Amino acid sequence: MVKVTETMNLLSTEWEIERLPFPRPDDKTVDRRNGSHRTPPPIESQNYLNTQQAMLDQGVSKVQLTDLRVRFGEREILHGINARFIDQRITALIGPTGCGKTTLLRTLNRLNELVPGFHVEGRVELDGMDIYRDVRDVRDVRRRIGMLFQRPNPFPQSIEENIAIGLRAHHIVPRGEVHDEVERQLTEVGLWEAVKDKLSESPFGLSGGQQQLLCLARTLAVRPEVILLDEPTSSLDPVSTQRVEDLLVALKSRVSIVMVTHNVQQAARISDYIVFLYEGRVVEANTATEIFVNARNKVTEDFLTGRMG
Amino acid sequence: MATHLEKLSTPGRKDIPVEAGEEFGILDRVLRFLGLAGAIIPTAAVLFIAAVLLVSALPSILFNGLGFLYHQSWNFGNFYSSATVTHNGIQAPTGASYGALPIIIGTLLTSIIAFVIGVPIAVGSALILVEKVPPPLRRTLSFFLELLAGIPSVVYGLWGLIVLGPFLAGHIYPILARLGAIIPWLGPPVGSGLGLLTAGLILAVMIIPIVASTTRDLLSQVPVLPREGAVALGLTSWESVRLVSLPWVFSGIVGASILGWGRALGETMAVLIVSGNGANFLPQNIYSPVSTIAATIVALLDSAESDPTGLAVSALAEAGLILMLITLATNILARLMVRRVSSTSLPIGRGV
Ligand SMILES: Nc1ncnc2c1ncn2[C@@H]1O[C@H](COP(=O)(O)OP(=O)(O)O)[C@@H](O)[C@H]1O
Ligand SMILES: [Mg+2]
Repeated sequence: MVKVTETMNLLSTEWEIERLPFPRPDDKTVDRRNGSHRTPPPIESQNYLNTQQAMLDQGVSKVQLTDLRVRFGEREILHGINARFIDQRITALIGPTGCGKTTLLRTLNRLNELVPGFHVEGRVELDGMDIYRDVRDVRDVRRRIGMLFQRPNPFPQSIEENIAIGLRAHHIVPRGEVHDEVERQLTEVGLWEAVKDKLSESPFGLSGGQQQLLCLARTLAVRPEVILLDEPTSSLDPVSTQRVEDLLVALKSRVSIVMVTHNVQQAARISDYIVFLYEGRVVEANTATEIFVNARNKVTEDFLTGRMG
Repeated sequence: MATHLEKLSTPGRKDIPVEAGEEFGILDRVLRFLGLAGAIIPTAAVLFIAAVLLVSALPSILFNGLGFLYHQSWNFGNFYSSATVTHNGIQAPTGASYGALPIIIGTLLTSIIAFVIGVPIAVGSALILVEKVPPPLRRTLSFFLELLAGIPSVVYGLWGLIVLGPFLAGHIYPILARLGAIIPWLGPPVGSGLGLLTAGLILAVMIIPIVASTTRDLLSQVPVLPREGAVALGLTSWESVRLVSLPWVFSGIVGASILGWGRALGETMAVLIVSGNGANFLPQNIYSPVSTIAATIVALLDSAESDPTGLAVSALAEAGLILMLITLATNILARLMVRRVSSTSLPIGRGV
């Protein structure tokens, strides 16, 4: 048995698929590695349903996408996405730059609706409820599906207000308890000690990593069920990155996490599932181990081994 | 020549011709000089104007003392009598007395009304332009907004005199006057429609385009990321405007408002026409005729010049000096306000 930490080390250096140590100790999909999967099927992911079945074996799907198509104006960016994001698991969304990862993520909390020309077809279901058709209160959808952005984006308000605003807007706690709840949320992301003496100060004086943690606390404060992250650590230093990753792993017990990352090693470190997106299509979706060990598509393999952007 | 070349070229950079280097040097020096001049000239101009005003105002300051600030009657005295009075070594025509209180109050009140009415409308319309109006319509509306800023003030004044004043006096002020039971200043008489409130309203219309177009430009530059953060948190668009956009551009809006305030303080022609020219008394209610410092200077300068002692002009200079001080004081106040706010919440000087 290989320990997880060693897996990470190996993944972060040069490696080949064949020599990948596996399985990860907590993984139950060990026995599904067999030779018949080795020939990569064509891009049009016929194997998709099989891998979906594999994903479903592992848990309840929290968000489900059915034939999701997204256009900006005349240009179709996502060409019929089918995917499931499992509850209490981390799904990494990977793929080359421009393949539509951000677009997909922003479609999941209806944020793309702010973009002129945005047009969506197909279904995005949260617990079986279509968030585009069955929902009257889009604000509550956005509360339930939180988002952390590529760069920290605190509000131009005091550090305390950054958290309190969401608490009040969604009536998370009674007014009198807002302050205590702010403390609780900041403690949860490990920021309390650093900011407890400057709660009324601007968040822009904090380091980038601290700002991103503040944004995470702000998101978590409104009790989301799903968290979307768009390359959340791409602007952070290694220590802050580590901190965010640890937090995400710890958060798994409460939420379903969908994380876009351009960092394959990060995906390997913390994700349970991987959805590989290529030119607006899902090419492959499976457990992380299976993808890394047993990529079924040549494009996936090329991407993972760094032969493609 | 050869030695000259050797002296100037640095080792290892012999390929650079000295002549070119010298040209750069001259250009550089010229630019630096222009930069320096650009930095100094505005400061020097302000100081120079203040100094000239102060010197011209000195006789009046000595003659009137502090009374200038709290006396209510402005009287040049009798220019044609040979008898003069002397006070503090300053000669003045008999009967001369200078009290600037009514015009100081008039200046402040008209500007405050303009500010209180104009700034919220301006900021509100900028918000609507940026947030709610689709881009093609926004361009059209913006065009008219800028057109509004280009109308000469004398035209505003005429319009106020012929249209707005009579309309307000006939239809709006009588209704407003009923509120006099609750707010004393709103009570009758409403007068002719030329007075404090009408002047304030005209000034408001004049400052709205300045403040609105600046605020619109500021708002359209608020970064998308924090705004989307607010929306992604499930806040309404109004909440995201209130909690993100407005704080983000707050200092800029203060700056724009101060520009508008300065314009209202110094506006001359329009106020002269619609203020009802209420010299020598304090306004009784919000419809009372008033006068302002700038309007008074323009209205009285001609006759002041026939004062053989020169004190009348000096008194007007002192009034001008006070106007300048009021403007300066409000500018400083605004700056302090911005600094206080930005130290707690605004991303000034700190990147995200
Ligand atoms: N607002 C938009 N309007 C038009 N095209 C867009 C918009 N946002 C993204 N795109 C296009 O969609 C494609 C996918 O972009 P994106 O989702 O940002 O890719 P990724 O995050 O995978 O790098 C790109 O070709 C991009 O040009
Ligand atoms: Mg992206």
